[in-house]
Amino acid sequence: MNRTSSPTPPGLILLRGLAFLGLAAIIYRFWVGIGAVANLSDGYPWGLWVAIDILAGVALAAGGFVVAGLVYIFGGKQFAGLARPAVLTAFLGYLMFVLGLVVDMGRPWHMFYIFIGNHQSPLYEIGWCAFLYTLVLALELLPPVFERFSMDRAYKIWQRTSPWLVVALLSLFTWAMTFSLAWTLAVASILLGWELMMEIGVMGRKGQTPVLLIAAGVMLSFLHQSSLGSLYLMTPHTLNPLWHSPILPVLFLVSAIVAGIAMIILESLAVESILGHKTPLEPLFALAYKIPILLIVYAALKIGDILLRGQGGILLTPHVPAAMWWVEMSLGVFLPLALYVAPGLISKRAGLAVVSVLVVAGLVVNRVNVAIVGVEVQRWHTYYPSFFEIFITLGILSMGLLAYTWATSQLPIHDQE
Amino acid sequence: MKALLMDTTFCVACRGCQVACKQWNQLPAEQTVFFVGGGYQNPPHRSSETWNLITFNEVSRQDTLDWAFGRRQCNHCLEPACVSACPVAALTKSPEGPVCYDESRCIGCRYCQVVCPFNAPRFEWGKRDPEIRKCTLCVDRLALGQEPACSQSCSSNALIFGDRDELLEMARTRIAKRPDRYVSHIYGEHEVGGTCVLYLSKVPFEQMGFTTGLPNTPFSQEVHRAMAAIPFALSGTALALGALYWIINRRLESFKEDTEEQS
Repeated sequence: MNRTSSPTPPGLILLRGLAFLGLAAIIYRFWVGIGAVANLSDGYPWGLWVAIDILAGVALAAGGFVVAGLVYIFGGKQFAGLARPAVLTAFLGYLMFVLGLVVDMGRPWHMFYIFIGNHQSPLYEIGWCAFLYTLVLALELLPPVFERFSMDRAYKIWQRTSPWLVVALLSLFTWAMTFSLAWTLAVASILLGWELMMEIGVMGRKGQTPVLLIAAGVMLSFLHQSSLGSLYLMTPHTLNPLWHSPILPVLFLVSAIVAGIAMIILESLAVESILGHKTPLEPLFALAYKIPILLIVYAALKIGDILLRGQGGILLTPHVPAAMWWVEMSLGVFLPLALYVAPGLISKRAGLAVVSVLVVAGLVVNRVNVAIVGVEVQRWHTYYPSFFEIFITLGILSMGLLAYTWATSQLPIHDQE
Repeated sequence: MKALLMDTTFCVACRGCQVACKQWNQLPAEQTVFFVGGGYQNPPHRSSETWNLITFNEVSRQDTLDWAFGRRQCNHCLEPACVSACPVAALTKSPEGPVCYDESRCIGCRYCQVVCPFNAPRFEWGKRDPEIRKCTLCVDRLALGQEPACSQSCSSNALIFGDRDELLEMARTRIAKRPDRYVSHIYGEHEVGGTCVLYLSKVPFEQMGFTTGLPNTPFSQEVHRAMAAIPFALSGTALALGALYWIINRRLESFKEDTEEQS
């Protein structure tokens, strides 16, 4: 890449400015406490940071496990070129999520107690899972590093050891979730059996990437993407019945998979037009044709669930939650589906971009609805984010984008054929 | 299990219990303002420094206006949502009744606040090293064989400390003897699976500013079910992914050769 002599583009300056402001705001927040910078209160203890940095951020990073799974487990050879950018996005997405979490936590210096915490809590599960998955993503991201610095020996060691590391980590995780020796042994033996069958050649082993590493990413993602929904199972008293549902974990998982795919498409298109990498369009179209199927499944689950619980009447009530439900579903589900019906639109670059933007926007609105709009606390003034909260969120987002441009300029992420 | 029974019909709103609570727990005084939260209610709301609050509710009763004095504090649920929610086990339910908090483990995530049906846990928003603060049912006094500071200070016998089953029996007897004096409901007997603070009232509880419409099952029930599914999901996805990989990989013989050529 040769972009050394050209002047810094204005977009980059803006990102740097926002990142700097965000960093300053974060330092200030730790100096004065959360109350002085945020509009959060005892009635609305979770706000913008949880909705955007945590719920939406983690969901939009789902593309990492979806594409990696498609390529390395489901034989989706045509998506191979998308795997590295997707994994990089996911890894940076999780780092941003952890930073957002540290800002939102009152006492982040105690955060490692989560590993010896309460295994009844969905937040405990999310803590473990997110930590292990970030580790798995870092491992998945090592090959470009090895290639860049020609570390052949390290590459070999990585290939040989990471399956066993995965077995150890997932066994430890199962133990931490259940405290049951039987379950731990069950999970460990399934994974060991898989690896051994590949070792002795009963099952084929393809390519250089350890399949177990990819499988671990998929397993951990399934769990914590759905557990983020489980968080809200315990809020029947505040969360509007349009969103409070026993199948919320499933809805969170499915919507994260769709939006994760949309995010990968959007990212590839953006990288092409902004950073100037050449992106082959065929894999993007192939990927895009998985979106409507998932959207129909999601819509069926979501609407069927509301009707079965007998809450359909709320949808026609003229108030803010119902309106926001329609906004969320129109942006994320109905409009994209309509665009797929329109002939020829989706086979163009612009159509692809529009559909992806809509799906991503729909997901963000959904998470904001679950965390903020749908929450009504008795005897309490409603919550709006403060400028500080917004600047910290924008700052973290800018840091992530800057890290992405830096990483793609340093590592062979897009150069694969 | 120990509990408190608050017979609000006896409460004269002297707020002695509020003062006793502050005194025993060494909580600083707050700036007081009248007519912000329910007339003479002071301070207007609970906070990290006020764990126990007598509420002033103007109700219309038998064609006249009347005061009904209520009370808000941590209700020490039998199966507390906050205890299930806390990822670091900083909140625990002791067998004697109190829901206890251990600041040395707390990460300040505030999930306990999000799930509490009674909005009991309060956060020290203004501090650099904030803690969750709430009524402890004077667990330190219970350890010394004493009753909580609030019930000991109560001069009108509105607040009674004792065994939960005995207090429930007492409450049922009171309602049965004087059906004109009480609404026929013991708040806390069944709400979210039952609580260790029970209330009797002369007016419906929603008029007293109590959280109503709560289910009789603990909030943690659904989440326990979701958490119990985790090992099944984990081994299920592992098996499914392995099987699919095997099947697909067999069908794509050519794929294997391709990649071997590449490597």
